[in-house]
Amino acid sequence: MKSIHTLLPLLFLSLSVPLCSAGAAPFAPLQRADFENGVRLVVEEDHSAPVAIVQIWLKVGGRDEVPGKTGLAHVFEHMMFKGSKALAAGEFSRRIAAMGGNDNAFTSHDYTAYFETVPAAKVDEVLGMEAERFGHLSLRAEDFAKEIRVIQEERRMRTDDDPNSRMFEELSSVALRLHPYREPVIGWMQDLKTLSIEDVRAFYQEHYIPGNVTVVVVGDVDFADVKKTVARTFGRLAKRPVAPRFNPVEPEPIGPKRMVATLPAQLPMLAVTMPVPVWHPGENDREAAALAVATEILAGGRSALLNREIVDKQRKAFAAAAGYDPFSMGTDLWFAYGMLGPKQTPEAFEKALWATIDGLRDKGPDAAQLAAAKRRMIADEVFAQDSLYIRAKQIGSLEVVGIGADRRDDWLQALGSVTGKDVQKVLKQWIVPARSITGLLQPEVKS
Amino acid sequence: MSGLMRIFALVVFFSAATPAMAMPPVEQVRLDNGLRVLLMQSHNVPMVSMSLNVPAGSWLDPSGKGGTASLLSAMLTDHTARHDYITWADRLDAAAIRLGSDASRDSLSLSLTVLKDALPEGVQAFAEAALLPGWDAKRFAVLQSDSVAGAQKSLEEPGVRAAQETAALLYGEHGYNHRPDGDLASLQRIRLADLQAMYAAQFKPQGAVLAVSGDVTMDELLALIGPALKGWKGAPAKTFRDIPAPATVSGEVRNINMPTRQMTVQLARLGPSRFDDAFFADMLLNHILGGGGFSSRLMNEVREQRGLVYGVYSYFAPLAVSGPFVISLQTRADQAGKALQVVHDVMRGMHDGKIDKQELQAAKDNLTGGFAHRLDSNAKRVGLLSMIGYYDLPLDYLQAWEANINGVTLSAVQAEAKRFLDPDQWNSIQAGPTDGGDAQ
Repeated sequence: MKSIHTLLPLLFLSLSVPLCSAGAAPFAPLQRADFENGVRLVVEEDHSAPVAIVQIWLKVGGRDEVPGKTGLAHVFEHMMFKGSKALAAGEFSRRIAAMGGNDNAFTSHDYTAYFETVPAAKVDEVLGMEAERFGHLSLRAEDFAKEIRVIQEERRMRTDDDPNSRMFEELSSVALRLHPYREPVIGWMQDLKTLSIEDVRAFYQEHYIPGNVTVVVVGDVDFADVKKTVARTFGRLAKRPVAPRFNPVEPEPIGPKRMVATLPAQLPMLAVTMPVPVWHPGENDREAAALAVATEILAGGRSALLNREIVDKQRKAFAAAAGYDPFSMGTDLWFAYGMLGPKQTPEAFEKALWATIDGLRDKGPDAAQLAAAKRRMIADEVFAQDSLYIRAKQIGSLEVVGIGADRRDDWLQALGSVTGKDVQKVLKQWIVPARSITGLLQPEVKS
Repeated sequence: MSGLMRIFALVVFFSAATPAMAMPPVEQVRLDNGLRVLLMQSHNVPMVSMSLNVPAGSWLDPSGKGGTASLLSAMLTDHTARHDYITWADRLDAAAIRLGSDASRDSLSLSLTVLKDALPEGVQAFAEAALLPGWDAKRFAVLQSDSVAGAQKSLEEPGVRAAQETAALLYGEHGYNHRPDGDLASLQRIRLADLQAMYAAQFKPQGAVLAVSGDVTMDELLALIGPALKGWKGAPAKTFRDIPAPATVSGEVRNINMPTRQMTVQLARLGPSRFDDAFFADMLLNHILGGGGFSSRLMNEVREQRGLVYGVYSYFAPLAVSGPFVISLQTRADQAGKALQVVHDVMRGMHDGKIDKQELQAAKDNLTGGFAHRLDSNAKRVGLLSMIGYYDLPLDYLQAWEANINGVTLSAVQAEAKRFLDPDQWNSIQAGPTDGGDAQ
């Protein structure tokens, strides 16, 4: 993107569960249309303010890259702002700015999305511009030569000069043997130095096809109008075959792994991760929901167990957190980490971390703990409805990872049905040392 | 309830850029104790957000004890006189009450986000945090120790190092001379008594504002906050009007050695205050310079034309008195000189009057066209109402905003460019490798 990324699925992900709300705030109904060429449209009308957000979601991301060409999906995203047949480089953003809007994009392992927040009256024009650049991108060598340097600076800023990010990047890479989540979305620097405009053009031909497109519009619009506009813009792109996506099954860990990243840093950090199942609606609702609830009990709210036990009571870290994303494709790297102060040791933190997890597994959450976790998770869904951007993002991401935004209510139901025993069961099966990969950020000792 | 407070002024209607748009009115009530309450109703999501802003900003941190206001804000939400930190956390979590706090240079804020059906409990908890501090010495020691460790950890971040240095350089002995978070040394010097003294002197309803947005009416709100804030009274020892004007510093250079690949460059000087006569011209000037994202000159020249950076931007902090005006970028260390030269050329060009009508119109179009987005969530509305209430801006501030932007002339922006953009008057702060980097 131009400036927002989902590059680091591990670090500081907010815990839990971007979805919607039940009972108290039923979602506005989704309206959808599927076009003959494979383009999909999903609209959520909200007439409370004369604004709208348009998001174009692509079923292409870091997972679709081949070895030696990591970072390509994200590089491509940058090139979308570099001009098309009808729009000079930079012209797209200039026009959006003139409308009083703003635009940007983001890339993850699973998807790429382009978005504009604009006055609602401009939605038709924006969809026309999006379809035009999608179908007629310039991809000039001289623009690529400049942009790849911008992206190298982005990597230096986000990863190379941030020891915590650098450690998490390495930890993901060590954790997985096969799954493409082992490669960073921003790309390894050595790949960024050898990518070419030909790589970008080939990526365009292969992935930027109508069957990979989901258009999401949330705001003060009329579904019938938007449908007509999409029909005469994205709906007119020539149909092309869609190849199945690379989604390998990660082999089950056969024992714990450990790594140390020795980097210039002020203080150590210890993180533990392991592959866990994501949500497959109708197949593992209770299991995925129980993992989400367990993670909320450990790391959500003021009463978060990791914080209370390890930071406040035992004083083995000055901050601790955990995270789980049930809405990705294929697998998720569940994680927990602790930030260690000058007198706190990685060994003591690690021991306390497992003791806390094991305690929850053995005793189970008490009724109040369980009810509070569920109530917070539902409340978070309600609070999320306050932002058009987050609403559109939830809808788009659920669509492109294959879950479907219509399943939002099912997820809330699954959360509601989780019992204390379910929490114990998933902790016992998935969150165990034998499956774990442990990483330590060790501050470099200056000679 | 109605005996406790009188309605002071009510309702500003507003029509924005789009004729169809009707902004919810701003409702205002002043309680008998002096607290100003501002509300924008919004009933599409069953939630309420609010923020209480009091004049206990970091500008009042005792000398050498930067972070006092910040630690005070953390203590107020950690526990109360009635609940220890464990029962307090359990109580808030059980009702999904989100209670937050923050200290900025000019004010301290407590914030609440809550489901509509938990509003009575939420307001009760909010008032308990504000008015019944627990002052538990053991908890103070824990919070202080964790914030000291956090401050050491943050020294890994070039942006934090540069911002610390910038504040120290621009403000000398002035209360703005440190980041509100404090730093590794200053946080260790703070005592619980410092927090108590700041609370006793500054945490008062007069000069404070409660900004609210969400699924609630003024009557419902007053019926809850009246009893909850009963007994709270008085005026603070100091208000934002007591903050002295800082002295000018120019042409200084500071280098911070860090083992990074990039150089983080900050150019800094004093900028306009919130009350500057040319505030809207300054806003447009900054938008054109580096505040307008991809349409700004700095982004175009440094990134789009030359590929030297991922991010480059400018901003000024609109505070009670001159806040910092900053231009910031990061680039591979060996390119820092080149990037800086481009920034200087951009500043010099604007300083010398090279700004045209179309460019000004584009900035106006972007700001006015995007006005509805500045108000499109409860959190954003609370932020704007807090600002209007705290700085005592006119209640029609939002109504007049678009006309104020559109009324700025090209010559006014050129005059502000002359006033602010002479590169020789700026200071330079750089964090990165002193050996020029290894070009990796």
